[in-house]
Amino acid sequence: MTLLLLFNITNGLIVGAFYVLMALGLSLILNLSNVINFAHGGFLVLGGYIAYAITPYVGFWGALLLAPPLTAVIGLIVERLLIRPLYGRDPLYGLLLTFGLAFMIEDGTRFIWGAQGKPVAIPAFLAQPLSSDLFFITWYRLFMVVVVIVAIALLFLLLRYTRLGIRIRAGTLDLETVAALGINVQKLRSLNFAVGIFLAGLSGVLAAGQLGLDPTMGTNLLMPSFIAIIVGGLGSLPGTLIGGLLIGVAAGLTSVFFPAASEAVMYIMMAVVLLARPRGLFGEEGIMS
Amino acid sequence: MATSLRPTRVDRRTILKTGAAVAAVQFASPYIIKARGETPIRIGMVDPITGAYAAIAQGEVAGAKFAAEEVNKKGGILGRQVELLIEDSANDVGTGVQKTRKLIDRDQVSFIIGDVNSGIAIAMAQVTSEKKVLHIVSGGHTDPITGTSCSWNVFRVCNSTAMDCNAIASTLIEKLGKKWYFLTPDYAYGHSVQSGFEKLLKAAGGTFAGSLVPIGTPDYSAYLIQAKAFSPQVLINIMGGGDQVSSLKQFVQFGLDKQMAVAGTLFELESIRAVPDAARVGWWTMEWWWDQPGVPHVAEFNAAMKKITGSAATARNWFGYTSVQTLAAIANQEKTLDAVPLARALAGFKLPPEIALQPGQPQYRAGDHQLMSTVFVGEAHPAQGDPDNMFAVRSPVPGEKAAGPVEDTGCKIQWPA
Repeated sequence: MTLLLLFNITNGLIVGAFYVLMALGLSLILNLSNVINFAHGGFLVLGGYIAYAITPYVGFWGALLLAPPLTAVIGLIVERLLIRPLYGRDPLYGLLLTFGLAFMIEDGTRFIWGAQGKPVAIPAFLAQPLSSDLFFITWYRLFMVVVVIVAIALLFLLLRYTRLGIRIRAGTLDLETVAALGINVQKLRSLNFAVGIFLAGLSGVLAAGQLGLDPTMGTNLLMPSFIAIIVGGLGSLPGTLIGGLLIGVAAGLTSVFFPAASEAVMYIMMAVVLLARPRGLFGEEGIMS
Repeated sequence: MATSLRPTRVDRRTILKTGAAVAAVQFASPYIIKARGETPIRIGMVDPITGAYAAIAQGEVAGAKFAAEEVNKKGGILGRQVELLIEDSANDVGTGVQKTRKLIDRDQVSFIIGDVNSGIAIAMAQVTSEKKVLHIVSGGHTDPITGTSCSWNVFRVCNSTAMDCNAIASTLIEKLGKKWYFLTPDYAYGHSVQSGFEKLLKAAGGTFAGSLVPIGTPDYSAYLIQAKAFSPQVLINIMGGGDQVSSLKQFVQFGLDKQMAVAGTLFELESIRAVPDAARVGWWTMEWWWDQPGVPHVAEFNAAMKKITGSAATARNWFGYTSVQTLAAIANQEKTLDAVPLARALAGFKLPPEIALQPGQPQYRAGDHQLMSTVFVGEAHPAQGDPDNMFAVRSPVPGEKAAGPVEDTGCKIQWPA
């Protein structure tokens, strides 16, 4: 039993790491642009399908490198054409826009690639478990966790030490002063949006390798990311990180005792956090606030 | 572009509302596909063309459209052309019912076909029996449709879950062992299949455990850890569509295929296509198969579907095809569009070979209106030769044998006075 619990905690951390990757992108966009990006799941799917489309030419590793920036470019275009005009309005406008966008992306992928799921092959050596005892840790999942850690480290370094990162953080706190200092806020928001969508695209490629591709997969993965943000606390990237890991572990542990509730437990956690500490676990402090 | 620098902050409440809306996305109805013209006899088809079942629903629609063309080439129904009106149920019961009412009341269809989702099919059946419209359930599998909820006007082409379970259970027990672990989707269809299997396994003295998994779960690792802890001889994977694809992929990546067998009822060709070679494993039931050497008309049908869809015909293509062809055949035989005499004639009606496309002459059983279609039990494998040759039929089980006696279904048909 102890072993089973230990397995589930480890496994929950792996699953949680994936939620974190997606939630961080969502959180970045929310913090600086005040857009609740409903289409984040859509961009994830897009990232996966782009990887699927270019794999025959550039291989799995090429796709892993190229698909996220390509998704980010699409994100950049969407931001410039559709989202920018809505800055400064009630957040509901952005919400409705991205809500519609989510449908368009889902049906768009269905139109281009078909409703039928697509198999995505990963290099054979990655598709093996580490050992028959640790069967649930495949090299691919380990690799995924490493990618997530590297991505998070790079993101935090970017925010902490680069000019762009410092401006993003400053903009989150006080956009008016940042603008008064002569910084091009529009450009800042665009770049920030692109970084967020880059993370969605990366999540998409990683998810495709593990779970396969399906136009509807974005919706299933979006919800845990929203919960991660709320549990972790709005405006706090470290909070999002902890929130994602927490719900991953909670869902894993619940599946030992009451599998049917493993999804519900995430919502229960959210409810408990909101009742006990409405701003979320780390909603007060952290590098973004 | 003028942009305020002090945008309204997003607050917690907005996020919560957003969350509620995300949940609602799955129930929204994005759009309607319609095929209209000016032809007299209308058949209404309601299927979830968008959403999680989109791939298989579109397969049924493709088969039904082809059947309508074929029927029209041969003079239509009672000398009138057939028009197929297709509506999207968006995988939502309310939408499915509303579309069914609309087809009957406004479009004046003579027949109704659908839905892939059993819950929607049962709800639609209440409307069609109330309105006295002949209704063929093309692809919803739960037992009550031709069991406890059966109705005089409702006939089913695809198998009941009991038929699929009965057909494969003895093979699994004999070949693979009696200790099973269930991976079951937590809704009517999953419960129905699992309880069918449990009954048969208990009778054979087997043991089992299982997980009920919420639909749309993105990751199956936690459930696979439970499964492995039970160390079963067979993992029974009842998950459907994308869920089955994801869970099988992870099952194989974890190397569990080397430690236990995997099996279940449906692993449809659409799903086999969506997994990589390594995950094309296990024992399953196929409800129709495109490669049936020596069975008349199958090759022609397969070739025709291939021309339309680009790949081999699937069971879903055949469901849609057979549904439309059945309606045309019975109406032309009885020379009426009146639902009651047509339903009476269809009870016990044997499908001619060009519609049956399988060995024997399956009939719509009079006692429960279930088509006694052959169940093809076999093994999935990576493509050999033809890209769609990914399933080897080991034993075709006749429908009557798989279905068991009518009394067991709990169906008592009440005819209108």
